[in-house]
Amino acid sequence: MIIDGLIFLGSSHFGYALDPGPALAGLDAVGSAVALAAPVHPHRGDFAKANATVAAAAAEAAGRLIPLCRVDPWDGTDAVSELRRAVGAGARGLFLHPAEEHFRINDTRVRPLVEAAAELGVPVVAAAGYHLVAEPLQLGAAAGWTPDNPFVLTNGGQFNISGLAQFDAELALGHPNVHVHTTGMYREDFLERVVATFGPERLVFATAAPLFTMAYERQRVELAHFTDAERDLILGGNTARIFALEEAA
Amino acid sequence: MSTSTSTRNEDDEGEASVIIDMHMHIEEVASLGWKMSAEDCVRAMDAADVDSAAVMTLTDLPGLNPQGLELIADACAAYPGRLHGFLRLNPAHLETSKQLLRQAVTELGFKGLKLHPVSTLQHPGGAATIELIRLAGELGVPTLFHCGDEPMSTPLSIAEAAAACPDATIILGHMGGYFHVEEAMDVAEQHPNLILETSAMPYPDKIRTAVERIGPERVVFGSDGPVSSPSLERQKVVIADLGTVAADLVLGGNAAVLLGLT
Repeated sequence: MIIDGLIFLGSSHFGYALDPGPALAGLDAVGSAVALAAPVHPHRGDFAKANATVAAAAAEAAGRLIPLCRVDPWDGTDAVSELRRAVGAGARGLFLHPAEEHFRINDTRVRPLVEAAAELGVPVVAAAGYHLVAEPLQLGAAAGWTPDNPFVLTNGGQFNISGLAQFDAELALGHPNVHVHTTGMYREDFLERVVATFGPERLVFATAAPLFTMAYERQRVELAHFTDAERDLILGGNTARIFALEEAA
Repeated sequence: MSTSTSTRNEDDEGEASVIIDMHMHIEEVASLGWKMSAEDCVRAMDAADVDSAAVMTLTDLPGLNPQGLELIADACAAYPGRLHGFLRLNPAHLETSKQLLRQAVTELGFKGLKLHPVSTLQHPGGAATIELIRLAGELGVPTLFHCGDEPMSTPLSIAEAAAACPDATIILGHMGGYFHVEEAMDVAEQHPNLILETSAMPYPDKIRTAVERIGPERVVFGSDGPVSSPSLERQKVVIADLGTVAADLVLGGNAAVLLGLT
């Protein structure tokens, strides 16, 4: 089963949007059965409402959309409370976006959220690669707070079109609980090296639609040089294991 | 599929009659653990049905890479018609760079100049860089810039060079990277001597937007291979759904003109 490790639902404060109907149609078009779905950054920052909207969409999607809870660490204890509420309502993970919510991922004020996720038994997914706030080693430091809970980094843990951030991304992968998405990672040799060095269990297919293109991101995995067994893990097996989707079903 | 020493010229099933990758690398950089050979390039090109490619080193001559000219010249000689040399230079060593560029183009058949402001620490609008770009223009070859998200490599930085060298053709490799693609299109609209090159930038729809905004004659396919897959990068142009005429130009027709192959 092919599982998209991350899509965004809703109409973002930052100008992009994806509704559940087109999202499911997009999944169908590229052969993805299921997607993890995080809310976009909502207008006026009402994350509780955004989480409820995604949960409602998931409830109507016959198991094809798995909700992630998104909160703003600047909301302090209210953010932790919203995480607990959302997980109690079925969210399967915590999504953090340091760039869009303007916080540094390894700031100590983020730690209670990461620790609450671990206590609740849900992985953390972090938008990665943003200069100053979500650099690979900053992400690795945050992952180190809860070494037994999976910590998933978007887009290979980096954004750098010179290829020079991959070395820090590999250092972040030195934390055994760190996993990285395939999304947007132009260096095929990096994706292949993650599998060769850290194991196929550490690489996760995702499209981050609508920010990236589902059809192209799917090709990124199809054309890389993986064995069939590795590709099965990357395209869905890893996400199913990390997020305990069989148990949820 | 291409053979290793001849160009693919069939026009099968409506595909572009010539496919040219405008951005590939050859070099072994021990400090980074990167090994990219001419054979690696040709193997990746064959897998993607790419006829020929512009090849350049990963580091700059003079300085880190004293054998850079010979490395690329030997690769092009080993694969005549498949590999076209671009000389990657450091404008800080201006007189040496000018001499090397003249030699490369007039004696060894190199087809272009490559500049990476991040590795050379030379701003695109700096006097030395401008002088070198103007020389490339006088020699009739384009200048390919690394154009991404890092300081000194953004579209607005390189636009300074485009404004100062209106008679030289400048290619924005990666067309702005992850976060500067819109700016790459903005400056390309302002400076007709700018060309956008598609490698590594991950958004197929931006290729279509670029074609709509500046015309199909000013967008060229590149892969940044061999470690970035030419097969995948070509799919990006396919998914952009440009139509046959525009796709033919982007995938090879424009590059053939820029490289003087027509």
